[in-house]
Amino acid sequence: MASDGGMVAIVGFYRDNSRAIHKALSILCGLVLWHYLAAVVVADTAFLVSPLTVVSKAYEMLFVTGELYPHLFASSWIFLYGYLLSIVVGVPLGFLMALSPAVRDYAHPWMTTLYTTPRIAFAPVLLLWLGIGAGSKVAIVFLGCVFPILINSYYGMRVVDREFVELARSLRMKRVALFRKILLPASLPFILSGLRLALGRGLTGVAIAEWFGATAGLGYLVYFAGQTLNVPVLFVGVTAFGLMGIIGFEILRKIEDLATPWKTSHPR
Amino acid sequence: MRKDVTRGIVSIVVVLVAWEILARLFLENDLLMPAPSGVARSFWKLAASGELGRHFTATLLEFAYGFSAACLIGIPLGYFMGMHKWLEEWMEPWIATLYSIPIITIVPLIIIWFGIGMMSKVIVVFKITIVELILNTAAGVKTIDPLWLEISKSFRLSRWETTYKVRLPAALPFIVTGMRLGVGRALLGVIAAELLASNAGLGYMLRDASETWDSPKLFVTVVLLAAMGIASFTLIKKGEQKLAPWRQTAEW
Repeated sequence: MASDGGMVAIVGFYRDNSRAIHKALSILCGLVLWHYLAAVVVADTAFLVSPLTVVSKAYEMLFVTGELYPHLFASSWIFLYGYLLSIVVGVPLGFLMALSPAVRDYAHPWMTTLYTTPRIAFAPVLLLWLGIGAGSKVAIVFLGCVFPILINSYYGMRVVDREFVELARSLRMKRVALFRKILLPASLPFILSGLRLALGRGLTGVAIAEWFGATAGLGYLVYFAGQTLNVPVLFVGVTAFGLMGIIGFEILRKIEDLATPWKTSHPR
Repeated sequence: MRKDVTRGIVSIVVVLVAWEILARLFLENDLLMPAPSGVARSFWKLAASGELGRHFTATLLEFAYGFSAACLIGIPLGYFMGMHKWLEEWMEPWIATLYSIPIITIVPLIIIWFGIGMMSKVIVVFKITIVELILNTAAGVKTIDPLWLEISKSFRLSRWETTYKVRLPAALPFIVTGMRLGVGRALLGVIAAELLASNAGLGYMLRDASETWDSPKLFVTVVLLAAMGIASFTLIKKGEQKLAPWRQTAEW
C-alpha cells in the first residue's frame, strides 16, 4: 500500500523534526495573523502595515532606490569604531584591574556608576562635549560596549585555575610566557562572551546615538520614520537592526569556535 | 573599615574635589562642565520648586506599572513555557525576535501606537521586562534538579503542592536574575521613550535641559539617573544573594 508508506514516512519525518516544524508553523501563523491584523482589522498604514508591505518596501530601498545603503554604512562604521575601541581599552583595563587590587578598588565606584546608569543619560552630555559629529556617536557606542568587555576580561583573569599557574611556575616559565601561554588563553572564553554581550548593547548605542543630530544611519532612519508616521520604513529599519544583531552574533560564534576549540558549549 | 571601601571613598572624594577646582579655575562658564557645587545648587532649586519631584514621580510610576504588569504576566507564562515543550517551541521564534532587536528602535513605533502619554512608557517597560522574565523563569523551571521531583513524588505531593513548594522556589533565583536584567534595560527604555516624546519624566527633563543649554540641570538629571540605577541594582542584588546565597552573584 503506497499511501500507507507515505503516511508512515510523513509521521516519521514529523517525529524527527517536530521542533523545527513547530517553530516554522509558529512563524507562519504569526505572520499570517500580523497580515490579517494589518490589512483587515487595522487597515491604517500610518499605524500598522502588513509584513508583505515591509518586504516590498525593503526590496525597493535595497534594489530600486538604494536609499538604505548610506544608512547601513553610516551605522556600521560607528558601530565598528566604538566596538573596536572598547576592545582595545576594555581588555587591558580589565586585566589591569584583575592583577592589581589597588587599581580595582579605586576604579570600582566609578565603574559601578557608569555601568548601572541608563546610558542614554550620557548622550546629551557627550553631545555637548564632542559635538554632533562622529565623535559623540562613537563615544556612546563605546560607553555601551566597554563595560561587558572590561568586566568579563576581569573575571576571566581572576578565575584562571591555580593549578595552571602552579604548573607554569614549576616549569619555570617566564612572566611573559605565563601571560601568553596560560593567562591569556584561559581568560579568552570570558572575553569572547563579553564581546557577545557587548554586541547588543553596542547596537542599542548606535540607535541612541543617531537620534541626536544625525543625518544618516539606521537609528536616524527609524527616528525620522517615527516622526513622519512612515510605518513601512520604520519596520524596515527595525528589521535591519535585528538582522545586524543576528549576523554579528553568528560571526562571533564562528570566532569563538576557532579561537577556543576546546570549548564546545557557549556559556552566558 | 575595609581597605577596598576606604579606597573607593578616597577615589570619589578626590575626583569630586579635582573636578570642582578645575571647573573653577579653567572654565569661564558652566556650559561645558558645571562644578559639583553648581550641580548641587541647581538640584536644590529644582527640588524646592517641585519640578524635580513631578518628573521623578512620573518616571517612577511608569516604571512601577510596567514592571509589575510584566511580573504578573511574565512569570506564569515563563513557568508554563518551561513546563510544556510545545509552548516553548511555539513561542521561541517570537521571543528570540523580540530579544534580538534593540528595544530602543521600536520605541518610535510604540509611541505611534500608544501616544505620547504615560501608556507608551508603561508598554516599553513592560515589553523589556517581560522578555527577560519569560526567558529566565523558563530556564529556572527547566533546570530543576530531578532528584527534588523524585522526592516530592515519594512524599506523594499533589501537583499543586509540587508546583508551589518545589518548582517555584527552585525557579525563584532565576526569576530574580531576570528581574535584575530587566530593571537596567527597562530604565534605559523608559528614559529613551520620555526623551523621544513626552511632557513629564526624567527623560523629558534631560531633553529640556539639553535644548535650553542648562548644563547644571542636565547634570542634576544625570546624577539622579545614576542614583536610580545604582539603587535598583543594589536592591535586587541584595535580594538575589538572600534568595540564593549559594550562587555567586556578579560584582557588577
